Amino acid sequence: MNKSHNYTTFYGLSVDILGALGGRGNTSQHDHTKEQYDFCRDHYPSIGIYSGGGASHSWLWFVDLFDRFGLYNVHLISEVEIKSGAIEPLDVLCVSGGDTFRIAESLGKEGSETLRAFVEGGGIYIGACAGAYLPLKSSKQPLNLFNYVDTKIANVTKSLPQALRMHHKFSTPYGCEFIFHPVRDAVELSIGDLPPFYSTASVVAPLYGGPPMIPSSQCEVLATYKCFTDKTVFLVDRDLAAKTVINKAAVVRKEMGKGVLYLFGPHFEHPHYRQANKLLLKSIYWETNERKKGIERARPFSYQPISNSRDFLAQLKRDLSNSRIVATSLEMLPVYWIIGRKVYEPAKIREFLEAIWKRIHRLEKTENIFLKDLEQEYLQSLGSRLRDLVRELKRSIDEGKDTSELAAILFADLNRFSCMFCNIYFRTMMAASTMGE
Amino acid sequence: MEYLSSDKIGIIDFTTSEVSEEPLDEELVRENIGGIGITTILHEKYKEDDPVVLGTGLLTGTLVPGSALGVITARSPISGKVVHTPLTMYTGIELKYSGFDYLVIKGKAQNPVYLWIHDGIADVEDAGELWGKDTWTCTDQIRKLMGDDVIQVLGIGGAGEAGSELAQITCNYWGSADRWGLGKIFGEKKLKLVAVRGMGLIEIAEPEEFVSQARSMIAEFRSAPFSGRQGVGDLLAELGHEDFNSWMGPLVHRHKSCFNTPIPTNTFLFLDEEPQLMKESEKDEPGVLVTDPLALLALKNLGLSAKDAGEALKACAKQGIDPYRVALLAQENGKTTLQDLLGFLPEMKASPEVSYVQEIFSPWCPRRPLWGDFGIGSDESEISQWWNRRQAVAYIFGIHPIFALMSPQLSEDKLLELAALGTDIEFDSNTIDKIVGRLID
Repeated sequence: MNKSHNYTTFYGLSVDILGALGGRGNTSQHDHTKEQYDFCRDHYPSIGIYSGGGASHSWLWFVDLFDRFGLYNVHLISEVEIKSGAIEPLDVLCVSGGDTFRIAESLGKEGSETLRAFVEGGGIYIGACAGAYLPLKSSKQPLNLFNYVDTKIANVTKSLPQALRMHHKFSTPYGCEFIFHPVRDAVELSIGDLPPFYSTASVVAPLYGGPPMIPSSQCEVLATYKCFTDKTVFLVDRDLAAKTVINKAAVVRKEMGKGVLYLFGPHFEHPHYRQANKLLLKSIYWETNERKKGIERARPFSYQPISNSRDFLAQLKRDLSNSRIVATSLEMLPVYWIIGRKVYEPAKIREFLEAIWKRIHRLEKTENIFLKDLEQEYLQSLGSRLRDLVRELKRSIDEGKDTSELAAILFADLNRFSCMFCNIYFRTMMAASTMGE
Repeated sequence: MEYLSSDKIGIIDFTTSEVSEEPLDEELVRENIGGIGITTILHEKYKEDDPVVLGTGLLTGTLVPGSALGVITARSPISGKVVHTPLTMYTGIELKYSGFDYLVIKGKAQNPVYLWIHDGIADVEDAGELWGKDTWTCTDQIRKLMGDDVIQVLGIGGAGEAGSELAQITCNYWGSADRWGLGKIFGEKKLKLVAVRGMGLIEIAEPEEFVSQARSMIAEFRSAPFSGRQGVGDLLAELGHEDFNSWMGPLVHRHKSCFNTPIPTNTFLFLDEEPQLMKESEKDEPGVLVTDPLALLALKNLGLSAKDAGEALKACAKQGIDPYRVALLAQENGKTTLQDLLGFLPEMKASPEVSYVQEIFSPWCPRRPLWGDFGIGSDESEISQWWNRRQAVAYIFGIHPIFALMSPQLSEDKLLELAALGTDIEFDSNTIDKIVGRLID
């Protein structure tokens, strides 16, 4: 076993983050460096990413983030795993964008209780966008099952203002009221000089429907919306947008039991915003260090490598290639689908496919691929089914047919396929890292 | 091979139904650069299996102006020589990004097949449903099946299936520069078509300098002597056929450039609708894209109207038959009306005698400089020597062969410099001499 390879990866992360944010050397009263490095040698944070009911494609951004920083102890989990309590051993649970109501419905009472127990038991909840709305105090069912954080949403209204553009993405019903989205894309945030961010610099991150928040005194405000940028897209009048968003809380931290919740209005995990990425990782780094709940990195690895990995990947690649060719061509067509409360454009199909595509190349370079029973057959059959579905979708659009139902099936399958693939990917990378490949 | 490359040569053997791959060796590139510098080496290596080799130039699909070219190298059924057919429009770039640098197609299939090239994968598929259908139907069916209208289809029609020496490998719906009867080889191999989609990426060794130089050249070409010229009409007028524009003009709908080529060398004629009418076409396909100016000229010389000549081009493209040699045969046999010519098409099997039988580059390309000053005299043999070398250079680097005749700025030194920036390989200054010597001698 080549241990040095392992902790070099996480050690590299620590140095990277500290360096990017001016280092802890500037705040000597919080100098935990030695302790953190000791921790890194023994632990590898175990991270769950929610990709179940209601999740949109943005969980892939978390995958990308952790992959880039060599954090391979990552597990894609659905509401089933949450309800069954499988998240208990995790250090971190990340919930990204999507349809908050559907996430809450999927988790239900059982999920809400497990989630509460997870955090109170020392877990770290990272919510972005829909994942940030989820634990906010609400009287609306089923959101009221998740009243963990006493914070108001600033973008709720009884009467909707006039939308200037992107009407289909502008608002969501919220009981008798509406949640509306005044702006989209890059906004600038002021960072408070509080742990774990320790900075007075500002950072830019994209807002895709996440909340501007008005927190109670029990919450720490780690960042506020400072101003708009030249990339900000205004969906309402600029003054109303400023009144709704600017100076409101963008990142909130709330301790609960032994654990903690981080709520990010903007997507700090988005792959194009490296500074924001590092702040999010810093939160995980800091909190796992504080709690030391991490799983031993050298735990026994129970999966067996498959013998025909080359053929397995070749078949996956073939189906995936065929699917991404059609998906690219779909992007030329003026269509979108409303699934649940969310809008899906053809470009989202490729978000899933490309996330897998680039990782197949990395798997090709590893010696072994680790699969559970039946995963190989299931993934191969799902890959072929996806190819057929996306081709059928294109044909149906060309023939002028209604494709709503087909699109809903396709996105559900894409999500399932991507989750299974990413689990195999992280498992294999973790094994390669542990074995010093 | 790390840069300007997918680092992969695909070898498809229809006899054994095996597909294998080998990396593109950097030394091979250092000594032969690319395009026909390498397709000829591969052809020689597999010559026992009568291969068809597809490839692209080293600079194909980049920001270098005119970098549109792909190439087919094979032994011509009409001349017995190893010849090269340029692939223009968007076929070259799709091939470049298909995940393969070169494809060697060898052996013969027992039953009709087609080849589907995508993301470094070569799938040999059953073409039983396509055999017997014309090139338009096949292109439509493949694009519909694969779900993408950008897929490039190199195919044959009835002529190739029947083993005609006039059979042409067509590009999608339109004719190509194949004057060599290469469609017959596809037919003998039972290869109905090769469908290609390029979704890959290629790396450039020195991207900033490479892009900067390419952009400077694009800016320079804006004030070049050919600036403002467009389509087959202006091209033929430059070759001395001043009346061509007035003959064809009323049918011209638009002109079309090949990938990143600063001058449009193709012209779309409307045959069934009014070209000046600013409205969506009511017909699926109201006209024909002229990609071979000299073939259109040969049809004009039969005495056909522009509309009838366009109809003849369209019929030839559907059947996958070389319209230039069709015009020659029609002339020889006195078939000088559209009706006679179309009736005569099924009987055309043997190629007429052609003057270019000793050549290796497609005579689809005019044989003299166009608007550009290359500092050569008027001596025929000097022009011929210059033309052959210029074509060779274009086919090696992946430059549009017609554009190469009007762009002295794309000198051999410049192309070598761009190749070095793109690949981080220091090419010997004698490399081009050596390759051209090998190819032409």
